[in-house]
Amino acid sequence: MGEDALEEAVIVGADIVAGHDGTAELVVRLLHPDGSEHPVLLDEDTGLKLMEACGASGLEDLYGQSWRRILPQA
Amino acid sequence: MREMAMFDVIVRGGTVVDGTGAPGFAGDVAVKDGRIAAVGQVSGEAKRVVDAQGRVVAPGFIDPHTHFDVQLLWDGAARPALEHGVTCVVPGNCSLSLAPLKASDRKAVVGMFQQIEEMPPEAFTTAFEWTWEDFAGYRSALEKGLSINVAPLVGHSVIRLWVMGPASQERAAFPDEIAAMQALLRECLEAGAVGLSTSFVDLDEHGRPVPSRYAQFEELDALCAVLGEFGRMLQVVPEFYATDITIARIDQLADLSIRHDIPTTFSPLFDTLAVPDNAERAIARVEEQFARGARVWPQMQTRPIDISFSLLRPSLFFARLPRWVRILRQPLEQRVAALNDPDTRAKMLADLGSDGGEAMFGRLVARGGDACPPEYVGKTLSEIAGLRGQPAGLALIELSLENGLDVAFLSAGQGHQSTDRIGPMLAHPLVHIGASDGGAHLASFSTYGDTGYLFSEFVRKAGAMSLEKAVAKITSETADIWGLKDRGRLATGQCADIVVFDPDAIARGDELPAFDMPGDGMRYVRAARGVDTVLVNGEVAYAAGAYTDSRSGVVCV
Ligand SMILES: [Zn+2]
Repeated sequence: MGEDALEEAVIVGADIVAGHDGTAELVVRLLHPDGSEHPVLLDEDTGLKLMEACGASGLEDLYGQSWRRILPQA
Repeated sequence: MREMAMFDVIVRGGTVVDGTGAPGFAGDVAVKDGRIAAVGQVSGEAKRVVDAQGRVVAPGFIDPHTHFDVQLLWDGAARPALEHGVTCVVPGNCSLSLAPLKASDRKAVVGMFQQIEEMPPEAFTTAFEWTWEDFAGYRSALEKGLSINVAPLVGHSVIRLWVMGPASQERAAFPDEIAAMQALLRECLEAGAVGLSTSFVDLDEHGRPVPSRYAQFEELDALCAVLGEFGRMLQVVPEFYATDITIARIDQLADLSIRHDIPTTFSPLFDTLAVPDNAERAIARVEEQFARGARVWPQMQTRPIDISFSLLRPSLFFARLPRWVRILRQPLEQRVAALNDPDTRAKMLADLGSDGGEAMFGRLVARGGDACPPEYVGKTLSEIAGLRGQPAGLALIELSLENGLDVAFLSAGQGHQSTDRIGPMLAHPLVHIGASDGGAHLASFSTYGDTGYLFSEFVRKAGAMSLEKAVAKITSETADIWGLKDRGRLATGQCADIVVFDPDAIARGDELPAFDMPGDGMRYVRAARGVDTVLVNGEVAYAAGAYTDSRSGVVCV
């Protein structure tokens, strides 16, 4: 395997939906290394942090980003 | 000569929709000593006659997911729930109740309650007196002033906090602690709790998971064994994130239901166009689990979800407008400077298209309850823009700037909004209509009037179910799911919880700010439309648009 990074889930879609508490939430679609695709719903705070971590100003900027960006930056 | 029967109340001349789903019929309902004494053509007299000509007479509605725990202590009608025809509420959902609770733990639990209810601090310090620690004590404090019936859940988080103290938000429980929680739950059920609530998602005011989230499966299983001794309900808030996790939770609840012979319910289950097969897959799994003999009731709300935001805080509402996102996530001072800068503003407005933001923002509504000038409250941004003689996008920015950015806007129907999709799901025999969250999220949106919306939207407008079916869904079916004895039907011997309403008019009113919380706290409410009279245990609690001073509500477990 050498220095190859492990494969990881990648964001392939994003949309805004209404959260149960009346805030706007973010649904991202993840493409997993095995080829499967799954939606994940993020609350407004987490969604805004993800956009910031990805330097994203719009939903399209999230496409192709590693799902690992969801983790708080150390 | 035979003596004429003398009743307390006769509701005369209406269409009786008895809660079973059977077709309505012309008839009277007579009440004596808090119970229904006769249904049909009733002869005899009564101290009070309620004229129900042209109206439907139905059992009072039951709301199975509320957070009225605190409000009920100073407002025994859970206003405005009662005026909507609701005669029984289930508080204590989502792992949180006000008992059992040691005096030393009150502060911690108030923080958790404020997180979901958004109640002002005065609600906990001036509006009532803390007289209890155990569940029986809370029950007596409640019963002093009820005009609505209450079937209270006990919260897993407070049971855990009582037994484990601060460790309840740090670690799994030891076997002796689990045994102590079992004993405590048993005591609560004996004192009138209708079941146990737990949460896998909620946070306290510091952003820490609530105590129930630290429980391992053995702990939940042990508590469900106690529920099994009483045949009582387990309520759960599942993860909203992904359908697969919801399905895993359904399977877990099904196992608990079968092993301990208890009903379980999870709420909320939403429909969302972003994950179109979410609710459908969850319901399919529920069907499979019922076929195995499990009872796992998904609760689905009737009302659509609205998004609200102001320019005070960043919101994902603007996520399709990159320039707006960049500007609105700056610190307050820079944000205000940018919004005031003519150059930046011109670019922001250009992003909205040639109509000045009319298509994107025109239907937003100024909600009120904040710094918004009263003349604009309740108006659409399109109307406000017209009044101000400026395009919608500019009106949004300037109205916000003029009022310290403290102007909230609402974008209606952004989730769970498709009547065509949701109607058949609500009508599904295994879907439990509920999840109103009544008494929660006070400063964010109104959690009242979902029953009115069921009739106006899903019965009258969409024809997704008959009126009789809709009534059954929120009366007898709810009573049966929760094991509420003698409630939910209009039949001789049943408790006389009755609502008289106009089938052509029953609906929820507009969402409006009200300042009726302790300490002049604000909340959003909706008044009832088309509800004439509400009886609770045989006494008129609401009539002709006003609450009476009846105090006939009970803890009905
Ligand atoms: Zn809740």
